[in-house]
Amino acid sequence: MDRDLLRQSLNYHGPSLLSLLRTEQQDNPHFRSLLGAAEPARGPQPPPPAQGRKEKKDDNSEIQTFIAKKADLLFALSWKSDAPATSELCEDNEDHYAVIPPLEQFMEIPSVDQRELFFRDIERGDIVIGRITSIREFGFFMVLICLGSGIMRDISHLEITALCPLRDVPAQSNHGDPLSYYQTGDIIRAGIKDIDRYHEKLAVSLYSSSLPPHLSGIKLGVISSEELPLHYRRSIELNSNSLESYENIMQSSLGFVNPGVVEFLLEKLGIDDSNPPSLMRGLQSKNFSEDDFASALRKKQSASWALKCVKIGVDYFKVGRHVDAMNEYNKALEIDKQNVEALVARGALYATKGSLSKAIEDFELALENCPTHRNARKYLCQTLVERGGQLEEEEKFLNAESYYKKALALDETFKDAEDALQKLHQYMQKSLELREKQAEKEEKQRTKKIETSAEKLRKLLKEEKRLKKKRRKSTSSSSSVSSDDESVSSSSSSSSDHKRHKKHKKNRSESSRSSKRHSARAFSDQVDQNRNDDSFPVPANTSASFLNQKHEVEKLLEKQDRLPYQKKQVKEKDRSSLSSSSVEIPEDFGGPSEDPRDLCNSYKTQAGSSKLEKPYKSERHFSSRRDSSEFCYRNSEDKIKIHGYKRFEKDNAGGRKEYYREWEPNSIRCSSSPTSSDYPWKSAERCKKYPSSGSRDFSKHGQRHRLNKDEQYEREDHSEEDTKAEAPEDELNSKEQPESGVKKKLPQNLLNIFHQIAAFEKEKGNKPKS
Amino acid sequence: MEPVDPGERLVPEARVHFRVSRFIMEAGIKLGMHSIPIATACTIYHKFFCEISLDAYDPYLVAMSSLYLAGKVEEQHLRTRDIINVSNRYFHPGSEPLELDARFWELRDSIVQCELLVLRVLRFQVNFQHPHKYLLHYLVSLKNWLNRYSWQRTPVSVTAWALLRDSYHGGLCLRFRAQHIAVAVLHLALQAYGVEVPAEAEAEKPWWQVFSDDLTKPIIDSIVSALIQIYTMDTGIP
Repeated sequence: MDRDLLRQSLNYHGPSLLSLLRTEQQDNPHFRSLLGAAEPARGPQPPPPAQGRKEKKDDNSEIQTFIAKKADLLFALSWKSDAPATSELCEDNEDHYAVIPPLEQFMEIPSVDQRELFFRDIERGDIVIGRITSIREFGFFMVLICLGSGIMRDISHLEITALCPLRDVPAQSNHGDPLSYYQTGDIIRAGIKDIDRYHEKLAVSLYSSSLPPHLSGIKLGVISSEELPLHYRRSIELNSNSLESYENIMQSSLGFVNPGVVEFLLEKLGIDDSNPPSLMRGLQSKNFSEDDFASALRKKQSASWALKCVKIGVDYFKVGRHVDAMNEYNKALEIDKQNVEALVARGALYATKGSLSKAIEDFELALENCPTHRNARKYLCQTLVERGGQLEEEEKFLNAESYYKKALALDETFKDAEDALQKLHQYMQKSLELREKQAEKEEKQRTKKIETSAEKLRKLLKEEKRLKKKRRKSTSSSSSVSSDDESVSSSSSSSSDHKRHKKHKKNRSESSRSSKRHSARAFSDQVDQNRNDDSFPVPANTSASFLNQKHEVEKLLEKQDRLPYQKKQVKEKDRSSLSSSSVEIPEDFGGPSEDPRDLCNSYKTQAGSSKLEKPYKSERHFSSRRDSSEFCYRNSEDKIKIHGYKRFEKDNAGGRKEYYREWEPNSIRCSSSPTSSDYPWKSAERCKKYPSSGSRDFSKHGQRHRLNKDEQYEREDHSEEDTKAEAPEDELNSKEQPESGVKKKLPQNLLNIFHQIAAFEKEKGNKPKS
Repeated sequence: MEPVDPGERLVPEARVHFRVSRFIMEAGIKLGMHSIPIATACTIYHKFFCEISLDAYDPYLVAMSSLYLAGKVEEQHLRTRDIINVSNRYFHPGSEPLELDARFWELRDSIVQCELLVLRVLRFQVNFQHPHKYLLHYLVSLKNWLNRYSWQRTPVSVTAWALLRDSYHGGLCLRFRAQHIAVAVLHLALQAYGVEVPAEAEAEKPWWQVFSDDLTKPIIDSIVSALIQIYTMDTGIP
C-alpha cells in the first residue's frame, strides 16, 4: 500500500473519501490498519480545504465512491509501473510521436505563475538553451529560451537569466581567454549547475560533467538555430499563429500517424502493455494461468496431435508397414519437434531397419527431452551395444568400447553391455599381444631388407660412375660441335628476352623519349626485335614450363656443380671474359664470324657460361628457362640448317632422351636441360611452322648484325640482363631500354615486313594461349 | 450526478455485452494482443450489436470473429486455431485442448463465416480512431507541465491506460469522440490520486479544453460516470 499516494488523494478529496474508504475497504486488513492509523494523524493536522474545493467534492461523490471501491488496486504498490522511467534522452524525433508545444502555452497561464513554477521544477543537471546577452570578465549572462531535457516548458518570454561563470567555460584551443570564443547573441546549450530558487538565480556550466550520466553524450556550448529542440520551434510557430489548436498541431504532425507511436509512447511513459493494467477485478492479468495462454495451449494440442500420429505409426509398424509408420513418425515430429514418443518410436524403427546410429540419435534426443523415459533408455542401451558389436566386427575396437561404456553409463545393470565390454577387453588384450609379436617380426624383416637395399644402391652407384667415365671421353671428341650447338640457343634466349620486352613495352615507350638514343642503337634495337619476332611463339612455353621444370633443373644443376668445368674451348674463352663486361666479348670472336648465328651463338655461349659461373641460387630460374627454350631452338635449327652435326640429328630422330643423355656430361647447358620429354617437342614443332620466315629473317638479321655489331652487342647485353630479370634491378634496366621510336628510322618496306611478321606471329602465338 | 445513459445500467443486454467484452479482453491478453487490436475487436463487437439484435447471433462467436478480424485490421495477425483453443479453455476452464478433428474445422469455418457477416454488417468500415494515441500524447504534455517528482510518485499513466482499456467493456467508444474519452480517462486518473494541474485556476483555458476544443465539462462528467457505471458491473460478476 502506497501511503503517500493515499494521503495525497485523501488530502485532495477530504474526509468524505476517508469515510467511503472505511466502508468500502473494511475487509481489507491493509486499509484497516492504515486508516485507523491515519485518522489520529490527520486529526491534529486539520486539512481545511478551500471553499471552492468543497463544491468539487460534492460533484465528485461518484468519483470518490469509485476511488474507495478501487482503492486496493489504485494504491497498491504493484500498481505503479515497474518499468523504469525511461530517460528523457530520447531525442524529440518528429517521426516517433507528435511533438507539441508546451501545454501552458495553450492554457495561457500568466507569466508570474509560469516563472514561479519554472523555478519550482527546474533541477540541477537539466539542459537549458539560451542566448548570450552580455559577456563580463567573470563569465557571461544568457537569457533562457527553452529547456533541452527534463521538463519541456515555454520559458522564452519569461526573461530568465542565467550566469555561466568563467570557471565553467571550457578553454577553447589556443584562446587565452575562453570567453573570447563567445559572442553576444550566440545560442548556448548548457547544464544547470546551481539554482537559487528563492532569489530566482541560475548558474549554468558548459562542462558535460554538470549533466546526469545518461545525458553526458550531449554536446554543450554554442549550437545553431537548427539544433533548437522541436518543441521550441513548434512553440514559436504557435506564437506567430495563436489560433492553432493543440489538436490541429497534433494531427498534422507526422509522428501522430506513425504506426509505432503507441508502442513508443507506452515505453516513454513506462506503461507495460504486455502485462496490461486493469481496474477490473476479474481482469487482473496476474491471475491468469500460464496454461491458458495461446502458446501453451497450442503446444499441448500439438503434443497430443503428434502422439496420435505416433499411435497410428505404431499400428502400421506392427503390421509391418514400415514406410507408412516412418511417415507418421515424421509427421508427428513435424507437428511437435520434441515429441519424445515419436522420437523413441522412430528410433526403434531405425534400429530394426539397421540404421543404428540414426536410432541412437533419436533415442538420445528423446532422453534429453525426457530423461526419465524408460523405453528410451532401454532401447538406447540395446542399440548402443548392438552398434558396438558392429564396430567390433569392423575392428574399430576403441569406438566399440566407447559405445559399450556409454550403454553402461546409462544403465549400470545392463548385462549385455558389461559382457560385451569384458569380451572386447579380453580380445583387445589378445590382439595387442599378437600385434606386438607381429611387430617384432616385422622389425626383424625390415632390418634385413634395409641391408639388401643398401647393397643394391652401392652397385648402382658403381655402375653409374663407370658410365660417366665413358661419356667424358665422347664429349671431348665432340666439343667443337657442342659450341655450335650452344650457339643456336642464343636466339632462343633472346626470345625469352622478348617476353620481358613485351612486359615492359609500356614502360619503355613511356620512358623512350627521355632516354637517350642513337640511331644506330635504335637500329640494333630493331634488329633485336626482329629476332624476337622470329622466336615469338616460343616464349609462351618458356616461362610457363620452366616453372614446372625448375625442380628437375635444380637437381641437375646440383649435378653440374659436381662436374668440373669442361675442357671445351668455348668455356675457356668464356671464363676469360667473365670478369670483363659482356660488351667486350664480341670483339673476342664476333668480328670474323661469317655466319650471323655464329655471332650470336658465341655471344650466347659467353652469356650462358657467365651465368653459370655466378652463384647458382640466383641463376637457376634463369638458366633453366633458357635451357628449356634452347632445346626447341636447337631442334628447329637442326631442321632448318643442317650443320656439322648430322650425327646428332640422327640422334634426334632416334630419341630425344638419348640425345640429352649423351650430351649431359659434355656441355653444361645440355646437362642442365632436363626438359620434360614432351615440352621441347611442342615448341620445336611450333618453330617448324615458320621455318622459312625464320631463316629469312636470320639472314637479314645477320647482315645487319655485322653493320651494327657494337651497338647490337650492347643491346644484347641489355637484353640478356633482361633475361635475368628475376632480380628487380634488372627490371629497372629494361625500362631504360628504348624501342618504340625505333621504327621510324627504318626503311618503310622493311617496317612493313616486320609488321606483317609480328602480326602473323602474334596470331600464332596467341592461339595456344587462348 | 446521474449516469447519462441509464439504459446501459438497466438493460440486461449491457450485462451480456459486458461479459462478452470481458471474454474478448481476456482472450486478447492470452493471445498476446496489444491494446489497440483488443480495442478494435471490442469496437467491432459493440458496433455489430448496435446494428443487430442480440438474439440473432451467438455473441461469443461474434466476439471470436471480432478478435480474428481485429487482428487483421491492426496488423497483428492471429491464428484461428489459437483463438479456438483460448476460447475453448475460457468456456471450459481446465479442459484439454480440442482435438484437431472435423468438429474443430467446423468451428474454424464458423469463425471465418461469421467474420464475413460482421464485415458486411459493418459495411466494411472497420478502421477506428481509438483514444489510445490521444491519451498518450496528452500524458506526455501533462508530464512536462507537472512537477516531475509528483509525476514519478503518481501512477497517472498506468491508471489512465487501465481505465481506457476497461472502458471497452461498454459501448463508450461508439458514443463519444476518441479525444473526449481520452481526456475523461485522464481526468479520472488525476482525480483518483488527487493530482492538480498546476496553475489551473490562473489559466485562461482549462487543461482539458486545450486538448479538445469541443469538449465541455458535462461531457467529461458523463463519460466518467459511464465509465464508473461499467465498473459497477464488474463487482456483480463473480
